[in-house]
Amino acid sequence: MRADMRGDMRLVAVGKRYGIRRPWVVRGFSAGLPPGRLVRVTGPNGSGKSTLLRVVAGVSRPSAGQVTGRPHCGYVPERFPGGLPFSGREYLLHLARVHGLRGDASAAAVDEWLGRLGAASYADQPVRSMSKGMGQKMALAQALLPSPGLLVLDEAWTGLDSAARGALDAAVTERVAAGGTVLFVDHDPARLAGLEDERWDFGSPGQVTVLAGPAPVAVLPSVVPAAPRPQLVTIRLEAADAAAAVERVRAIDGIRVISVDAAGTAGTAQEPGR
Amino acid sequence: MTALLRYQAAILLRSHRWIFPLIAYGLLIAVGAAGSSSLAQTLDWSGAMLVPITAFLTRAMLTAEPDAARACVAAAAGGPARVQLATLIIPLGGGALLGLAGVVFDVLTAEAAAAPGSGGLAAKVTAVAQHPGIVAGGLLIALVCLLVGSAAGALCNPPLLRHPAAAMLSTLAAIILGLAADVSPASAAIGHAGAQATGPLAAHWPGAGALLGAVCVVAVTWGISVAAATRRDNWSASSG
Repeated sequence: MRADMRGDMRLVAVGKRYGIRRPWVVRGFSAGLPPGRLVRVTGPNGSGKSTLLRVVAGVSRPSAGQVTGRPHCGYVPERFPGGLPFSGREYLLHLARVHGLRGDASAAAVDEWLGRLGAASYADQPVRSMSKGMGQKMALAQALLPSPGLLVLDEAWTGLDSAARGALDAAVTERVAAGGTVLFVDHDPARLAGLEDERWDFGSPGQVTVLAGPAPVAVLPSVVPAAPRPQLVTIRLEAADAAAAVERVRAIDGIRVISVDAAGTAGTAQEPGR
Repeated sequence: MTALLRYQAAILLRSHRWIFPLIAYGLLIAVGAAGSSSLAQTLDWSGAMLVPITAFLTRAMLTAEPDAARACVAAAAGGPARVQLATLIIPLGGGALLGLAGVVFDVLTAEAAAAPGSGGLAAKVTAVAQHPGIVAGGLLIALVCLLVGSAAGALCNPPLLRHPAAAMLSTLAAIILGLAADVSPASAAIGHAGAQATGPLAAHWPGAGALLGAVCVVAVTWGISVAAATRRDNWSASSG
């Protein structure tokens, strides 16, 4: 459950659906999530972003494929209803202990994050009487206080005042600089603009496209059916750092780069059963 | 896991969702104590009443936490399975505490069958101490009923049954089946006890089969509930 030493986190042919007769929300999605990576997840409402984030965070199990090497995770849901019978501080102390912090360390971490998010003045108020923004700060504080190796933010900025939005931006860059992996969804394209290493875009239903780099430079069809034969995929790169991108594709487990031509078109094969 | 159990126990205590089961159990065992002719019979009744009480305590706990808060805890604890397990353990523990309190109440209020006429509490305790089998048998019957109640609560509530009305009705149905159906370990335990010698000093024991059956039923229903908790995101009835 704690930091996994077997290697980087990766999603291997991950699929999720809520019942055998239900459509796939996400299907056959593979991606690596090495330390220090900042990933923006984009797509219209209802396209499955939240579902993918929950699978990444380990809140729900994928229906197909697997998630390996997940570090300790902090998760912020898109809405945090205050239906809990605690004060904000009591809630955070409980969550700090669940995150594995001990006595003094948990109290110190709670105070630190209440201060950074500007929530100290109403931390002793019951959670159920808090406004949307106050509740959102409690959800943020519980996710940030263990300094998690994986931080998953599902529209975490909504409802926050501008000071807290700034504090969250700072917390995200801090996590990434410290070698943490951060995934986020936010409908403001200016949010952390230019800082993300990768963009995962939900286009057509069930399909996720990985767009690497602050400016999209590559398109990788990600639907990998359980084919008996290796699947051949041709990727066209239109960027100055195409060679580096090819190296990154080469590093993905289960993928073999077969040929790279001068125009930067790489033929890759996904091995079956991976 | 300890932190998770503390968190869930705090939710149960602070949300006051334990008050209704506590009052209901108090009323039910008071009625039972008034209507029974021997201590063993009173203990049978108190044990049987743990089926509905533990089932509803389990329901109270399974519906106490909003989805989003549950998701945060699941991420923090390293998976929803542990969270669901803690959510099932706490009402089982609560039911066990109520069951123990019920046994103490029964012993202290029972007509002292072993020493008719003597009314003091000390005399009653000594009388029971001379026949420990009565209390031990009663505790085992209570254990069987506790497990059956927990199984009924786990099977008929979120994440398996999400619609509140459907969950309530099927919890009630499961309780009635648990107490009345021949195949239920709880009814087997009570029936087995009732069929034994009915002297005022005779101990009532549940059959070994009932005890084993109750453990199996709990293992299976908890397993199903935990598995469902790892697969579902939204527990509320309206969302898919």
